Amino acid sequence: MSRTPWLLARRHVVTHWIRTGLTLGSMAVSLFVDLPRDCQAKVAGVDEVAQVCKFQWFGGYYQDRSNFFGQFGVDPELFFEMYAKDLKIVEGPADRAPDETVHQASVRAMLADRRSTVVGSRLAKDFGWKVGDTVQIIPTIFQKVDGSAWDFLVVGIYEPLRSNVDDRTMWLRYDYLQEGLDAGTVTGPRGVGTFSVNLKPGADAAAAIDAIFENGPQRPRTTTEAAFQAAFVSMMGNVPLFVATIGGAVVFAVFFSVINTMLMAGRQRVHEVGILKALGFANSVIGRLMLGEAVVLGLVGGGLGILLAIGTESGMRAMLGTFLPNYAVQPFTLVWAAGLALLVGLVSGIAPALTLVRLRPTEAMRAEA
Amino acid sequence: MYEDGRVRKVAAAGLVGGEQVVLDPPADLSIGDGEFVAMMGPSGSGKTTILNIAGGLDEPDSGRVEVAGTELTRLHGPALSAWRARHVGFVFQAFNLVPVLTAFENVMLPLLLTPLGKAERRKQAEFALDIVGLTDRMKHRPSQLSGGQEQRVAIARAIASDPDLILADEPTGDLDRSSADSVLELLGRLNKELGKTIMMVTHDAVAAERAGRVLHLDKGLLVEDARVAS
Repeated sequence: MSRTPWLLARRHVVTHWIRTGLTLGSMAVSLFVDLPRDCQAKVAGVDEVAQVCKFQWFGGYYQDRSNFFGQFGVDPELFFEMYAKDLKIVEGPADRAPDETVHQASVRAMLADRRSTVVGSRLAKDFGWKVGDTVQIIPTIFQKVDGSAWDFLVVGIYEPLRSNVDDRTMWLRYDYLQEGLDAGTVTGPRGVGTFSVNLKPGADAAAAIDAIFENGPQRPRTTTEAAFQAAFVSMMGNVPLFVATIGGAVVFAVFFSVINTMLMAGRQRVHEVGILKALGFANSVIGRLMLGEAVVLGLVGGGLGILLAIGTESGMRAMLGTFLPNYAVQPFTLVWAAGLALLVGLVSGIAPALTLVRLRPTEAMRAEA
Repeated sequence: MYEDGRVRKVAAAGLVGGEQVVLDPPADLSIGDGEFVAMMGPSGSGKTTILNIAGGLDEPDSGRVEVAGTELTRLHGPALSAWRARHVGFVFQAFNLVPVLTAFENVMLPLLLTPLGKAERRKQAEFALDIVGLTDRMKHRPSQLSGGQEQRVAIARAIASDPDLILADEPTGDLDRSSADSVLELLGRLNKELGKTIMMVTHDAVAAERAGRVLHLDKGLLVEDARVAS
């Protein structure tokens, strides 16, 4: 007959609550960009600047969160003029004037209706969208007060003219968003995430533009489009890897933190283990106790993390919406997290358990209590 | 036993239960059932080593140790632990209570190793605490008890599972005279009223007088085996 005094493990976890609390800690990171709309006029006032166009990340999804693609609110006339060498609208409205190109007809149609959108060819193909269709995009950032989705009217389908232009982007009218924000029917950031600037030939306006904001609350960074795009694509393209890397590093750090905690706990238990052994508790019981304590720590920590993940899911989605509109805590992730917590607990308990099991009772009791 | 005669991981020490005891030539040691034996001698004389070997906490390098018909030198690992749980109660100089547990929970610990049910274990622990006169302190943690009270809790823990043998290693070493007397009186009662066999290591001559027999050790050798007149 050899029962395990689990009360001891429970009492240790509770008694050493500071240690337990610190072991269970975690952290979070967030990023925001929101420039005032009037920046556009200020930037346009810089001598070297030819054109300035708004670029506002919309961050919605089509039907399902997994249908993730870029949507930007822009000043359509400026945008299609500035990017005439980058993309070309190849399908447009049927009511085209005899002297109009498809591209021109689409831009005209876009200017005529605030709900208009021009979409990339692969996006249209993926979702079966055609010119004239009304598509519903579910917002993650620009929520409508009545909870409804946004309707967009497809007036054109573009093809990239350069290899670095994405064919899965949806271009919207920024003033469509602005109208809702100003009327109070839409909530979301009232500023603009990015301004695209077209410079006069040979000009380098980065320093001049940054100087405008030098003493303001916002400190935007002016960079070339290539650098911006590289950073953006790199960020978006590597999000899973990025998250996995951070997650892996955190798990690694937590793992060693728990191991360290358990080794420390093991050292603190030496005298107590000597007493238990003297009383007649077998080594298997001592091992179970130590492993049990480590597993309890791991599972409680993992459980708190899981509750935190569930509890903050919607908040995190709103916060990360600009970058990760499809952020969701999947059941599989929770199961995986629980399994990992169990594993971390088990593995971290092995070393101290083995150390304690190997101790002779008299040797252990000589250790300081 | 080493050539120089030191008792260190003694070559052989037969002990309790009327069994033949050999402390390597020239000393043979036999302790009878229900005896209260005190072991005295200077530090390093081997008193605690004998006690630990008798309790199955240490194993001798060679030789044979027999306690109450069980040859301890043949027991190892879980079997030795189980034997210890069933037959021996320890009382230490430093009390060795588990600090995160209450007095009652400390006394309950050895009972987890018995086949008793929960209600019986509780009853037994309460009985043991009643014997040492600490039923009113059962919910106190060791840090909330005086040294004398801690040692009485340790004695309650030692007798909770009703072992045959109580091994006390300087049980009054950390106590004032009054508390020491109280603990010694308790050990005497356990010996006389409950028939427990007690081996006690002590430096205190007053404490040794409570025993019925005093063994004197020096440098590992049994130099005197004296009966105390009651």
